[in-house]
Formats: sequence, C-alpha cells, structure tokens
Amino acid sequence: MRVPVRRAVVMTAAVVALLLAVLLSLAVGARAIAPSAVLDALLHGGHSDSAEVVREMRVPRTVIGLMVGAALALAGTVLQGITRNPIADPGILGISQGASVGVVTAIAFAGVHTLTGYVWYAFVGAALASVAVYAIAASGRGGATPVKLALGGAAINALLVSVTTAILTTKASALDEFRFWQVGSIAGRDSEVVGQIWPFLLVGVVLVLAVARGLDALALGEDVAKGLGQNVAAVRIVGGLGATVLTGAGVAAAGPIAFIGLAVPHIARAVVGSDHRWVLPMAALLGPVMLLVSDAVGRIVFPPSEVPAGVMTALIGVPFLVALVRRKVVAA
Amino acid sequence: MSSVSLAPRRIRPAGYAVVRVGRAAFLLHRRSTLVAVGLALLLAATCLAYLCVGESFVQPVEALKVVFGQPSADELVVGTLREPRMVVGLLVGAAFGVAGGLIQTVARNPLASPDIIGISHGASALTVGAMTFGVTSYAVLPYLSVVGGIAAAALVYVFAWRGGLHATRFVLIGIGFAIALRSVTTLFMTKGDYLVAQQAQIWMTGSLNGRGWAEADPLALTLLVLLPFMCWAARAQRSVTLDDDTATALGVRLGHVRLGLVLLGVVLASVATSAAGPVDFVALLAPQIARRMTRTAQIPLLCSALTGALIVVLADLFARRLFSPTELPVGVLTAAVGAPYLIWLIVRSRSVRNGGTS
Repeated sequence: MRVPVRRAVVMTAAVVALLLAVLLSLAVGARAIAPSAVLDALLHGGHSDSAEVVREMRVPRTVIGLMVGAALALAGTVLQGITRNPIADPGILGISQGASVGVVTAIAFAGVHTLTGYVWYAFVGAALASVAVYAIAASGRGGATPVKLALGGAAINALLVSVTTAILTTKASALDEFRFWQVGSIAGRDSEVVGQIWPFLLVGVVLVLAVARGLDALALGEDVAKGLGQNVAAVRIVGGLGATVLTGAGVAAAGPIAFIGLAVPHIARAVVGSDHRWVLPMAALLGPVMLLVSDAVGRIVFPPSEVPAGVMTALIGVPFLVALVRRKVVAA
Repeated sequence: MSSVSLAPRRIRPAGYAVVRVGRAAFLLHRRSTLVAVGLALLLAATCLAYLCVGESFVQPVEALKVVFGQPSADELVVGTLREPRMVVGLLVGAAFGVAGGLIQTVARNPLASPDIIGISHGASALTVGAMTFGVTSYAVLPYLSVVGGIAAAALVYVFAWRGGLHATRFVLIGIGFAIALRSVTTLFMTKGDYLVAQQAQIWMTGSLNGRGWAEADPLALTLLVLLPFMCWAARAQRSVTLDDDTATALGVRLGHVRLGLVLLGVVLASVATSAAGPVDFVALLAPQIARRMTRTAQIPLLCSALTGALIVVLADLFARRLFSPTELPVGVLTAAVGAPYLIWLIVRSRSVRNGGTS
C-alpha cells in the first residue's frame, strides 16, 4: 500500500477505536447500560435513570479522559522527541510528581482548592522538575542517556515524594483531600473541570504542533538539525514548554497518570512512521483510547469498587517498558 | 586467604595486620578496623544524644543509668519511649546497610540498591495490602514483607535476564517495577478507610514513630539468626569482586555464591522494611560511604552496617526535633539526603552506560 493510503486507513482505524473506547466508557460501569440506550440518552435526552447516569456522571468523566489522555500522550511524544530518548515519559521523569508537589503546596499552604487556582502551581512544579531532571541527566560525561534520565527521574521523584509526605504528615487535613487525587483518577471530577482546563490544553497543543517539523529534524541528530537550518534550542524550549503545559494541566485535572506518555508514542510511531506531523495527531487519538479503556477496565475488575485509571495504566505500561528495555530499543 | 597467614611474616598484604590468638591467626585490615572503631564510638555518642534530647532533656548520667538497668527518675521517658525506638532504628539501619552492600557487590553497581530496584516497594506493596485487608499483627506482617521483597526481586531478575544480566537493563527494569509496585500500594491505600490510609502513608515513608519492643524483638531475633550467614557473606563477597574467570578458576561456584548473597540481601532489606517501612536510600548511601572511608576494593559489611545504623538514628533524631512538636517520618529525611547523593552519583559517573556489567 502506498504511504498516504496506508496513513488514511490507519487514521480512520484510530478514530474508530477512539469512538469505541468512548462508547465503552459510557456504557460500562457499576450499572451496565446497553450501547443503544447510551446513544438514545445522548441523542434524545429522556429522564430515565440510565440517561441521568450517562449524562451526569459518565459524559464528564469520558470527556476528561479524552482530554487528559490526549494531553499526556502528546507530552510524552514531544519529550521523547526533544530528549531523543525512547523512555522519556512525564511519570518516569518526575514531571508529574513535580506538578503533584505544586498541587499539594497549593492545597496545604496557599489555601487554594479550585482547579483553576492550583493548575498554576502544577505548571510551576512540572517546569521546575523537568528542568532539574534534564540538567542532572545532561551533565557529566555521555550526555543524557536513557539510564541517566531514568535515574535522575527516580532521584527527583524520591525527593519530591519526601517533600509531599513531609507536607502531608504535618498537615493532616490536606491528606484526605489529596490522597484520592494523588492516585490518578478521572472519576468524580465534575463537568466544570472540562471548562477549566481546555484553554491550557489548547495552548499546549498549539505549542507542540508548532515544533513538529523541528522534531523531525532533531530525530536526525542535533548537528544535522542545525545543518537543516533548524533552531535546535528554540525547538527544545517551545516543545518543552508545550509538554510542561500539557502535563501540568493533565495532572491538575486527573492526578499523576503514568505510562500513557511512554507507551502511546511508540505505538503511534509504529503505525504511522516517524513523521511528527502524523505521529502527534495519532498519539492524540491513541492516548485517550488507552486511558478510557484502562478506566473502563478499572471499573469492572473489582466490583463494586473501582480501580483508579492511574493504577491500571501503570500496570499496563510497565510490561511495555520491560519489553522496550529487553528489545534493546533503549541503548543498554 | 588462609595461605597468606602461613607465609613468612614479612610477606603479607599491605595495610593488613596479623592478629594471633593462641594458635589461631587472622588478618585485619588496619584502616577498616580503625574506621569500624571510630564509627562505633560515634554511634554510641549519637545514641546517647538520642536518649537525652527530646521534648524534655534528660541528663546523660540518668540516661546511662536507665540503659544499664539502674533505678532512675527518667525510666519512663528514656526506657519506655526513646530506647525501644532507638533500638529499632539501629537494627533497621544496620540491616539496610548490609543489604545494600551485598546487592551492590553482586550487581557491581552502586545504583542497584534495594530501594531503587523495587525490593522495598515489593515488600511495602504486600504489607500495605495486608494492612488494608485487616492484617495488623506484627507476627505476620514481617513474613509477608519478606515474601513481597523476594517476589519483586525475582520478577526484576527474570525480566532483566536476557542471555546474561546487564546492569543497565537490570536498573531500568527495576525502576519500572518500582513504579508499578508503588501504584499498587497506592491502590490498596485508596481501598482502606481513612485511619488505615494515614497509618499506611506514614509506614510507607519509613517511620520509627511509635515503634517499640514489639518490632525490635522479632527484628533482633531475625538478625541474630542471619548473623552466621552474614559472616559467610563477608568472606564470600571477596570472591565475587574478582572477575568471573579468576573466580571460577579459583574454584568458586559463582552462581551459587551470587544467589546466596542476593537472597541474604533481599531478606535483610525486606525484614527491615517490615519493621519501619521503606526508609529510603539508606541501603544506597551506607555501603558507599563506608567504602569511601575504608578505601577497600569491596564493600566492608561491618562498617556499612554501622554507617547505616548511624544514618538512621541521626536522621530520626533530626526528624523528631526539626519541626517539633510535629514529627516527620525518618524516611523523609533520609530521602532528602539520599536523593541529592544519587543525583551526584549520576552527574559524576563517567558513563553509567558501560559501568558495572556482570
């Protein structure tokens, strides 16, 4: 098949998968609702119990899942591009944890309890953590190798977790509000959240798409990219800014959800090739699929209680990391 | 090494002294011995300070009276509140120190310590899980901890094995498992009610608050049982630091020795985790500090046990007093010191990529 045809087919398939995931997320749960009833409730309204459940609880949850999934997948793709590192992921690099610390600080000290309030703290935390990890990994001989990035991320993670714990143990009131948010869940967020985070996501998406060409050049190596006339520093800064905004907004909305940013870019590259103008949209389609399916599976494995989506994505994502490391995609 | 002591007196390795007791003779590394004595003295002084300093200051003389069983007015504060907690700290620190030393020796990589490659996380995941399902007895939890730690280590080992054990792959996969296990732990915490969550949260950062003889006794007993194995490990460790061909030519069954050392390390780390939670980075820090002080090729186990104990007791002393009256979990302080050290290791490393393959 010619490349354009192949891409069109794959894109269509991804859109179909996303629609199926959305339908699954709307239909599955403590109260199983038939897909036809879901469509009926969405299109014709009605006031049956099922229709209320779908509209009041599952639609906001699904929309947030869509947004957060896309945001984290895009952030992961860009991070992998600008660090030229296959295991870059907001979770592994400690960026999500940085955003977490920002949110904890906001809850415990600044008395901020609204999402629009603490999203700024999340941005600052995410930005500081990403700069710190990259600076650590890039210093010393050999530059930012995958191992050094992962270890730098682990160190920053440990440091930030200890800061978080120090705050939470000294401020017990913050723990109860924080512990449900921390695990990474898209349950129980109301529809206001959607209205509050979309501007941030839009900014992030624009920044990220702006550097798509630059990422392609960077994939050839720093020197080649410079030779092709790309401003490598600008690409890295704009891309990093975009990734930080996307991670910060995603984390503020749903808590740290790991591994979507790791797994999805690899899958996207495997199906559409390495052109970032195709990889980025593909990742934005597949990210929500992974998050929504994880969330739906989490709702049905241990009924009646729910397993948070962040736990499910980690459990799905770790085998992926293991496979990557074993296949020597990661220079070991 | 026994052949060396039979050689004429003048031919002996530099830096060693021969100690003769009756007909027996053995070699002592002079510097290591000095460091060990120094550490022991420092540790004793820290312990005394630990017993004296707190909400109320106790005269050192009174504290010593309590320790040696003399009647004293400060029996309650020192004997009941501070002493058992200090003993738990000492034992936990020593166990983590030895565990880290053993695993780092076998992996030939300072980064492969139990708190980075997921062993403590495995232990805590299973323990927190048991706590949320209503198991709170300290007669059962330590065993679950050990099972969790060994299971995690085995999983990491199996998945990192690919026609050989590459240090980089091992560490990366270990970090992955650590993340997954941490999320499993969080999962269990969401399930439990608020009180269990708070208890588990404190336990998970590694805290000595409220630990007493109930934890100290089984821990001491376990360490006592493991003591002969640790003596064996101190000798066996030397052969592992040789390169593979030399060791095999000398008749060392490398596979068996390595397995034994790692198993001992994992058991020690898990037992310590069960008593105080994963006190982060002690297992990473202690062996490296000890080795830098003794300047030996291999990690000195006794010194790293002493260093580990010193770190934990000192950190807990600060954790109790820094934000008093609120106490921090000791793990917060050890992580705050250990993480920068890990960062320094990464920055300083000539090349982690090629370092320490085995």
